[in-house]
Amino acid sequence: MGDSAYSFSLTTFSRTGKLLQIEYALNAVANGRTALGIAAVDGVVIATDKKFASALVEGGDVSKVEAITDSSGFVYAGVGPDYRLLVRKARKSAQAYFREYRETKPVGQLVKSTASVMQEYTQSGGVRPFGVSLLVAGIDGDGVPRLFQVDPSGAYFGWKATAIGKNYVNAKNFLEKRFQDDMELEDAIHTALLTLREGFEGEMDGHNIEVGVVSKSDGKFRLLTPEQIQDYLDEAN
Amino acid sequence: MSRDSNYDHHISIFSPQGRLYQMEYAFKAASSASGLTGIALRGKDTCVVVTQRKVPDRLVVPSSVSHVFNITSKIGCLATGMIADCHSAIQRARYEAADFEFKYGYSIPPAVLAKRMADIAQVNTQSASMRPLAVVMMIVGVDEEKGPQVLKVDPAGHFLPFKGTASGAKEQEATNVLEKRVESIPEYSFDETVRTAIVCLGSVLGSDFRGSEIEVAAVQGVQGKFRSLAEEEIEGHLNAIADEND
Repeated sequence: MGDSAYSFSLTTFSRTGKLLQIEYALNAVANGRTALGIAAVDGVVIATDKKFASALVEGGDVSKVEAITDSSGFVYAGVGPDYRLLVRKARKSAQAYFREYRETKPVGQLVKSTASVMQEYTQSGGVRPFGVSLLVAGIDGDGVPRLFQVDPSGAYFGWKATAIGKNYVNAKNFLEKRFQDDMELEDAIHTALLTLREGFEGEMDGHNIEVGVVSKSDGKFRLLTPEQIQDYLDEAN
Repeated sequence: MSRDSNYDHHISIFSPQGRLYQMEYAFKAASSASGLTGIALRGKDTCVVVTQRKVPDRLVVPSSVSHVFNITSKIGCLATGMIADCHSAIQRARYEAADFEFKYGYSIPPAVLAKRMADIAQVNTQSASMRPLAVVMMIVGVDEEKGPQVLKVDPAGHFLPFKGTASGAKEQEATNVLEKRVESIPEYSFDETVRTAIVCLGSVLGSDFRGSEIEVAAVQGVQGKFRSLAEEEIEGHLNAIADEND
């Protein structure tokens, strides 16, 4: 971004006062694969599908759900390569925070700094906005589970439960019906899987979805193994 | 600038539907610019890349026409697309691999190099000042922990590990042929991997080859070096394939 030869912003106001590049970026997100998250009273779950265009892909180590600190993680909908850049910057910023304060960067701070980066790319010279919306899940030292959504504009919102990407409207309606304020993590994981299944083509199993969980009991963000996901799916049946 | 939505075809900004046209055009250029098809395959302990060698003129020195490159002595790459962009990407990959080894004291794993090249490619899709490179890189190497790997990096900055994959003009046809063998490919020996790659290329191009008309390069085992097979070796494999078919 710093060495762009363009000194003017590519994202400018239209006559009606809109920032069209940001709206178009949101369209890119809406074309992406669905991702969703639910914040329960004792933890947060984020999930997405893991579908590849070909059976030739070795999908074992490829993942969209990524841990940023020990106790927080991201998932996205939209343009994959843009997401990797945000993950890298977030990890670096969390590490820099730890270096200075010797404490894990809190989720809210992580969200603010990532959102700030995304905003910069809507205003700086010669760059386009990120084509991703992020879902950020984490638990801070205060034990409160948090789920945030960050959009290409850099706007962020705290959610009890939400979905992004293709089919997000149906997914959000589904979540709204089933969400309870006193929901526990186990229920939340089941609900997340049921919501994913709504828009899923084909059979869902432990290998074609990804689930990330952070629980109040240990405060650690981890990805569920395919076997664990399969267990949850079997219970849901 | 947003009003002039015609610019979305010229630089890396979003179209109204949320597409990045420059990136899509870069893909088209990478597939069709050279007219070549390339295949990369990994077996039990071997990675192989195969592509055509189209010498444009009889006066051209054949060995100077190549889309197969060494990035390190152990990691190789088949770069399909515009040859000048390929050279640029390979030079950068060589620098990144050398820099990694200098900084960290051990050879860069193929997947780490692929991710680095993909992240570099992504920058060109987000920054208007540089166009994306019209190159699809298939980076191959034998990882110490994970075994043989094939990683494909595209102009958009996507990268994925594959058991086998193709790029270029006949990418889809070649991928279909490979998908039929997806279960057996990871167990192939050196010879099986090489011959399957050659057979696959032959079947999508609908012709037989001579040893001088294709490039074949491979790396076998963690200690192995990525090297191009000599014409005689390629002829040997072609004969073996012909014998199998008789």
